[in-house]
Amino acid sequence: MNRVIRNKILSVTALATLAVFTAQVSVSADRKSVVVPAVNSINGTVPGLTTLGAIPIPADNKQTDAKVELGKLLFFDPRLGGDATISCAGCHEPSLGWAWPDQISRGYPGTVHWRNSQSIINTAYYKKLFWAASVPSLEAQAPSAAKGGVAGNGEDDIMQSRLALIPEYRKRFAQVFGDEWPLINNAWRAIASFERTLNQFDTPLDKFIEGDKKALTKEQIRGKALFEGKANCIACHSGPMATDEKFYNIGVPYSLHWDEEGLAQITFRFENYAKGVTEEKYRTVKDDMGLYFRGKIDSDKGKFRTPSLRYTKYTAPYMHNGELYTLEDVVNFYNAGGVTDDGRTTDFTKTKTPLIKPLGLTDEEKKDLVAFLEAFSGPEIEIEKPKLPEYEPLFTRKELEDIVK
Amino acid sequence: MSGDGAISCSTCHKPENAFSHPDALSPGYTGNKHFRNSPSLINTAYKKIWMHDGRLGTNLNDVTRGMLTEDYLMNMDMRIMQERVKQDPLYVQMFKDAGYGEPSNGSVRKAIPEFLKTLTSRNAPFDTGKMSASAQNGMAIFKGKAGCVQCHNGPLLSDGKAHNTGVPENLDVFLDPLRHQAFIAYNMFMGNENYMKLKRDAGAHIHTHAADGSDMGTFMTPSLRELKYSAPYMHNGTMTTLMEVVDFYSQGGGQDSNKDERLQPLGLSYSEKKDLVAFLGALSGDLLTSDEYVWKGEFSGEYDAIKNWRDTRN
Repeated sequence: MNRVIRNKILSVTALATLAVFTAQVSVSADRKSVVVPAVNSINGTVPGLTTLGAIPIPADNKQTDAKVELGKLLFFDPRLGGDATISCAGCHEPSLGWAWPDQISRGYPGTVHWRNSQSIINTAYYKKLFWAASVPSLEAQAPSAAKGGVAGNGEDDIMQSRLALIPEYRKRFAQVFGDEWPLINNAWRAIASFERTLNQFDTPLDKFIEGDKKALTKEQIRGKALFEGKANCIACHSGPMATDEKFYNIGVPYSLHWDEEGLAQITFRFENYAKGVTEEKYRTVKDDMGLYFRGKIDSDKGKFRTPSLRYTKYTAPYMHNGELYTLEDVVNFYNAGGVTDDGRTTDFTKTKTPLIKPLGLTDEEKKDLVAFLEAFSGPEIEIEKPKLPEYEPLFTRKELEDIVK
Repeated sequence: MSGDGAISCSTCHKPENAFSHPDALSPGYTGNKHFRNSPSLINTAYKKIWMHDGRLGTNLNDVTRGMLTEDYLMNMDMRIMQERVKQDPLYVQMFKDAGYGEPSNGSVRKAIPEFLKTLTSRNAPFDTGKMSASAQNGMAIFKGKAGCVQCHNGPLLSDGKAHNTGVPENLDVFLDPLRHQAFIAYNMFMGNENYMKLKRDAGAHIHTHAADGSDMGTFMTPSLRELKYSAPYMHNGTMTTLMEVVDFYSQGGGQDSNKDERLQPLGLSYSEKKDLVAFLGALSGDLLTSDEYVWKGEFSGEYDAIKNWRDTRN
């Protein structure tokens, strides 16, 4: 059964949904990556592209059907945000690649974000989340997004209070976590469990690797050879997720939005201020320092974690600030050695990786490579948004009138 | 000045209502509603302790920060606020002219209190000595038979302390989940252990924490100035007119085991009550709605880009 059908069934009734998720969770437990030879690259010997193995499930947050179902509700619930207008899905919209199609993601009302929204699909397999890999788990990613000033801008106390006034959540948190009253940290755990069910295992490339040699077109097969050879993509985009999860500055230029939009400029300064850079850097830096913010090490400026290439057919635009609109633009960018068509590159040229060099690809080769990149995506993963449970007063009028002071 | 850019200080403190709000319970932030009545800001600079429960006892700078950042009030990350102010050329110029230099989180918290200091009673008959005969009778009752002066004394007509007068609960606080969520969040944040089961507003107990609960339901004596424009009354807006308030005290206040013992039935006649109301009215001065107090210029609601951004110091 493919994911689209699965998810359509999912939304019919809660019971059917549970059954489907049960099947999926148990199947994935047995899942093993197809063993493929390692590849010699300009970045040393790297794992070959292959299928995904078992979904990594943290020992302290086991999947259960009820938890996943609760997480699904919470993922779509805007009450987990400051002014109750933006849910996780607000920037990770299922019909838009579980991401957001602007170069820079929409942000909390009154703000704009400063990075591109990444897809939720297959994020279970990442060891760390966010563009600079700043959090170690999906459980840590969710609150960071829900609470960030230009994302959800929520605070724990009010979000937890809201959950307590929704009888359906009281019931479900009690069932799933044994909470007397819903605890906000358990909301993040449930959302993480839901996200771990959003995976794609049946891309054309997966089928090809599993032995269906017709799963890729001739163009794509030529593209794969380029990917693993002349174009050097495999140097970083390796293994089951097509990422080494390491950090590189590949030359992505600053966002033109920072140059041209007031709201974007506000957020740019806020992010640098909030992340604790020196005043001199706050005053003068005009590009996203990426990994630098974590350790404040100059050699980390402009580095970002290699993103997965899975599901990218649906997640344009590309790169941490969406500066490249299409997969063709991405291939052109690499072919030029990390320079955009309009001649722009990173402000942090000193930290740019030597792995990125002009490739000298022909037009034909570029086409083949783009065709192959599309093989990292299967059918679109759809979902029917759940009907959200409503607030209800916690006390009756009589209970309130009867109190003795 | 608010997280989602939807509300300002003046959303809950409206100049035409003596910088208070005409609803029983204040609007609060976009995703929720508030659980208390919005008090007048006129003369707030004279206070030493702020909020109905008296939880802020330092200075207006801290009060300003608290109101801007509290999640159920304005939910503003002040770092974003600073960068918004810096993006507006008019603010940049005004902060410079005011001697603050570059706009900052800190200078916003200085400038707003400076404005609040200008909001003071103007031409109240009580101050000008031009009270009507009825108001003068009312003042005598206020000081004498009614004993209001025991708590409502000094220039603000407040002793600056918390008392329990038995004001009934406003049940909307609990029956409207949008208000109740803010009430729960506030009690949780203030360390009130019983926050999920509370069916009453604990008042000053949230910071005085008396083990025997004798401080439950105590609220700061409010100033009686500018009441003419700041109805409804009490910490939860449950009384809509001054006559209702006078009736409440004339009957000896409400029902509460913690009620201040000084509240006893007063047996006021109708004409005595009318005189008291007249006196209370004489404590109100001019509305502060002129250009001096109200910004009547436009807010574009949008931010222009800083030109030559890449070559300009942030």
